[in-house]
Amino acid sequence: MRYMLGVDVGGTFTDFVAYDSQTKDINVWKRMSVPRDPGEGIVRGLAQFEHQPDIRNIRLGTTIATNAILERKGACVAFLTTSGFRDVVFIQRGNRKYHYDINWVKPKPLVKRRHCREVAERLDSQGNIMAAANEGELRGLARAIAADKEIEAVAVVFLFSYINPVHERLVQRIFAEEAPELPVSISYDVLPKWKEYERASTTIADAYIKPIVAAQLGTMAEKLERSVGTRKVSVIKSNGGEMTLQAAASAPIHMAVSGPTGGVVAGRHIAKLLGIDSLVTIDMGGTSTDVSTIVGGQESFTTGFEIEWGLPIQIPMIDIRTIGAGGGSIAWIDKGGMLRVGPQSAGAAPGPACYGAGGTDATVTDANLLLGRLNPAYFLGGSMALDVTAAESAMARLADRLGKPAEETAMSVLRIANTNMIGALRSVLIERGLDPRDFTLMSFGGAGPLHVSDLIEEMGIPRAVVPNHPGQFSAYGFILTDARVDRHRTLQLTSKRFDRERATEVLKTLIEEALEDLRAQGYAENVQIFRSLEMRYLGQNYELELPIAFDTFSPENTTALWEQFHVAHRARFGFDIPGEVIEIVNFSATVVSITPKPVFRELEPAAGDPEPIETRLVHFIDGRKSVPVYRRDALSANHSIAGPAIVEEIASVTVLNPGHRLFVDRFGNMVIERA
Amino acid sequence: MDIVTMNLLDSTMVSICREMGITLMKTSYSTIFNEALDFTCALADTAGDMIAVAEFCPAQIGGMPLLIKSCAQEIPTSAMEEGDVIVHNDPYRGGLHTPEHTFFKPVFYDGDLMGFAVSIGHIAEVGGMVPGAFAGEATEIFHEGLRVPPLKIIKRGQDVEEVWKVLLANVRTPRYNYGDLRALISSVDLGEQRLRMMIGKYGKEVFRQTTRDLMDYSERRMRAEIASIPDGIYRFQDVVENDGIEEREYAIRVAAYVQGDEIVVDYTGSSPQARGPINATLGVTWSATYNGLLHLTDPTIPKNSGCFRPVKIVAPPGTVVNVDYPGPEVGGNTETHPRIAGAVIGALAPAVPHRAMAAEGSTHINFVFGGYDEQNDEYFACYDIEMVGWGGRLAADGNDGQDSINGNCRAMPVEVFETRYPWRIEEWRLLTDSGGAGTHRGGLATGKRLLCCKTDITVSQMTDRHRIKPWGFGGGKEGANGATLIRRAGSTKWQTVVEAFNKRSSSKYANITIRPGDRLQLIAPGGGGWGDPAERDRAAIREDIREGYVSAERAFKDYGFQANKED
Repeated sequence: MRYMLGVDVGGTFTDFVAYDSQTKDINVWKRMSVPRDPGEGIVRGLAQFEHQPDIRNIRLGTTIATNAILERKGACVAFLTTSGFRDVVFIQRGNRKYHYDINWVKPKPLVKRRHCREVAERLDSQGNIMAAANEGELRGLARAIAADKEIEAVAVVFLFSYINPVHERLVQRIFAEEAPELPVSISYDVLPKWKEYERASTTIADAYIKPIVAAQLGTMAEKLERSVGTRKVSVIKSNGGEMTLQAAASAPIHMAVSGPTGGVVAGRHIAKLLGIDSLVTIDMGGTSTDVSTIVGGQESFTTGFEIEWGLPIQIPMIDIRTIGAGGGSIAWIDKGGMLRVGPQSAGAAPGPACYGAGGTDATVTDANLLLGRLNPAYFLGGSMALDVTAAESAMARLADRLGKPAEETAMSVLRIANTNMIGALRSVLIERGLDPRDFTLMSFGGAGPLHVSDLIEEMGIPRAVVPNHPGQFSAYGFILTDARVDRHRTLQLTSKRFDRERATEVLKTLIEEALEDLRAQGYAENVQIFRSLEMRYLGQNYELELPIAFDTFSPENTTALWEQFHVAHRARFGFDIPGEVIEIVNFSATVVSITPKPVFRELEPAAGDPEPIETRLVHFIDGRKSVPVYRRDALSANHSIAGPAIVEEIASVTVLNPGHRLFVDRFGNMVIERA
Repeated sequence: MDIVTMNLLDSTMVSICREMGITLMKTSYSTIFNEALDFTCALADTAGDMIAVAEFCPAQIGGMPLLIKSCAQEIPTSAMEEGDVIVHNDPYRGGLHTPEHTFFKPVFYDGDLMGFAVSIGHIAEVGGMVPGAFAGEATEIFHEGLRVPPLKIIKRGQDVEEVWKVLLANVRTPRYNYGDLRALISSVDLGEQRLRMMIGKYGKEVFRQTTRDLMDYSERRMRAEIASIPDGIYRFQDVVENDGIEEREYAIRVAAYVQGDEIVVDYTGSSPQARGPINATLGVTWSATYNGLLHLTDPTIPKNSGCFRPVKIVAPPGTVVNVDYPGPEVGGNTETHPRIAGAVIGALAPAVPHRAMAAEGSTHINFVFGGYDEQNDEYFACYDIEMVGWGGRLAADGNDGQDSINGNCRAMPVEVFETRYPWRIEEWRLLTDSGGAGTHRGGLATGKRLLCCKTDITVSQMTDRHRIKPWGFGGGKEGANGATLIRRAGSTKWQTVVEAFNKRSSSKYANITIRPGDRLQLIAPGGGGWGDPAERDRAAIREDIREGYVSAERAFKDYGFQANKED
């Protein structure tokens, strides 16, 4: 049982990473995905791995949950809610995505209005029962829904159920008796937090993808069972942790963002290894770029995710911002004569003009090629020749319209693409009060390392890391994950009349629920518990999260807690309101079962300087320069390269700007520093 | 002009404005701020021209240019110092209405004034005759709360205590107002810091030149948009149904003169100003005109003062579109604004049908209430808005349940509302048949029923469209009216406030007392339909019936659709 495998199933490629715990070797490879049968793609890729019987575990990142929602291929859901409130999911929040776009169409929820059923029941804002649910009525409803052949899943959201789940539990029980074949998602299990639209949207999404995810994971498990014969297959959750296939099938909403979390988890691991306190990751692929942060050894989490504008999925997950900017992003000129890049992408087909597959639009990849940053003879390690002439004519067309030389145009395309990525970096750093000067940028994805030097220059970030295997970094992250359960719950208590017993009870229950979830999946070892509170001044509407280290609220730790809040508010927003009443809104518990981690092999220290394989003319903002080109696999620990320079590897290229210096650390990471 | 630097500065400045807005949202107290997002953050140059803005509330975006310039007349830039923060809300000094507070902070670099960080936000409680500012029966500006001329609330980084004392002594909810004011100040502090950092990076001259270039660029694009509209005179008229004082209509009359790449929007012929609070200040009329035009043009044009250069506005003083002192005007910003913006869209719709729509509900319902919260031993006040139907369009049905065109506010969640205020919401629905019939039908309005449960609540309202329906376009039918209905405890009869409280207007009234056991319905107006109903796709009608958007009876009446035969 030597091998740990990470498998990232993407739209075009499935990436594989295998770690050998005896030799500490890491192997990476790619296979074409089989979109209609992801399991088949995995099995084919695994067939390339000769040590199948020696696999200890396989962790999968998959987009099946995401795609089912984005492509609207989920189940026909019946939605049960409090009488009077069927339309909450149609009214949504009433705001618009764009101010001035009269043609914008409001997103439709994942249920039909005719499948929304109201139940006579009501709790007040304290969780007291104002109108008790009628069991007979519920039984009748359950039978009627079971008899409707169109309905494939059920979502239940009652007002104030996050305080008191009694009626949701009753519905769950009655459906288990009357309609046992129908999967039922209740909001208390999915997301016991206030704000009914967001909770309902999340709960409906869970029900919507449950049948399809359960079926696909089932097929996948069968296939893997037959081929690899391993039971140790798990799935990566949106919180970066793993969960069993069975747990995934019963709470599929936790897989809404599965694959991209791998890069963040790997980033965290490497940051710890290298002693980096504040890291920002940028994963730039062909059509999109994902950005996230790791501060003090922790990923940043969000409960404000929207899978599409207006369709919130608010379970706790790693906060990854995605923008439509990648190597394939198309450059174009708007009506005012401004050059723009993206969000339209040439995608994989036809792809950038230089792919020679019929693309005629100039893309970021074409610009990189024409500026000498990409080697037409060593793209994907030489397995794909790039068509320079096609890139030139695409760029020339754009340049003509701008009335500028082609090279200047290509440089402008590059700079605007960088500006787009800077926007994404700003949104996770500056817009959240984080100072870029405290950060290290980790850049991966096929296209990330091409832009890394420019990005740290423009953002004022002092240094960057290009890790090993930047082209398969998510799958790489999967061999580094733990099992993790996050559980949040809303209960409002103020500092003015603080009920310590109630607070203690809620926190303990939350931790117990989370532990039980982990145990039920078979993760019982090396368990760590983290607790935090979301707090605000009474009257505010958004909370600051404060970690706490206790389970029982005492007079002493409670007094200290209020003081910590004032301090945290001052630190985040620049002011506090001394003496103001403070409100606790949400309690949260995270339990993690730490799993065995790979140990990375260290490189032999270099003897002498690295040898460039050639020199090439490359364009930088301040002009064209002749620069040395290195191959990454020829670099060793302690090698140091002064920019300008290029480092090529099979799935990526790193561009080092003039004035920057690159240093290879003992693990083979390339660390770039500005002068 | 360096296009890359321009692109970079534009996106950086918009991102600064967004960051200012996030700070406001996260730290403010009023729900109208933090749930509804009724605020806007911008950056301006030393001339008071807006150079960047984040998309929060559209009403305030168009009001920005006049606001800063008016303030600068009273506090000349020579009297501004580093660390000052200026507060202002006076409708008669370039403002929009008394709840809308503008904060601006001069940004200095190396001792030179470079521009301003500006935040405008709606503070729910401002004193005056009703809790929540919307006094539907106000007859002069003094009824509408405390007027704050441009004042330094912070001087060289220090609180000016006297100003704080006056501001907080004149409102019902000082604890909340304090939180909101602090939030606004922290947002302009942040904007100032960030803009200074940016100028430090690019240099003063590049900043000045590029912001000028950016405004020229937006102007160029706006001119190109106007040039694509055929020359001509385009007219339209809509009305505000009454002013809360007299039962008569007030006309908004638009004549849009398009010539080449410029447009003159002339409101001559609009009604003389009303005694009640439906009047618009000049700032509101500018803002509404720009809002209408920005909807009719390419939405990707960067929003700054350059957009407005090819637009000239004629608004005769003493009319509902340019009120003379001391007329009341709190509803001008919420009710008359969408009526003006809608009339501009209606006027130009025949020329640019692919960018136009039929009338949206064009009211925010503006349901305000206050009372005493025994548990926390303090006064509460709330400004609640409800969602209307939007108009049908050339390409699609109108959207259901959205905030009116001059806001982009979010509805308050039921669970937040009931936790904060002593009401129980009994139902909240999309109203079947409220969208006007058409080739593309109007969007559905919302209806909410509330039960007063614990304590007496003082209620006021400033809405419209109870009698006049939202217009359809090109043969499309009108959207449904709104209504406010009350059922006293123990009664079975729903009554208007005219019937139940002897008020003059059902849509605009002040200070009625709702007691425990009383119920209240807030019914919003629906959107107008677009195009001949006979042209509507039969499958769409069938789906509307199945989904309950249109009843079978109305489908027969409006479309001649016989559900049992065509199914």
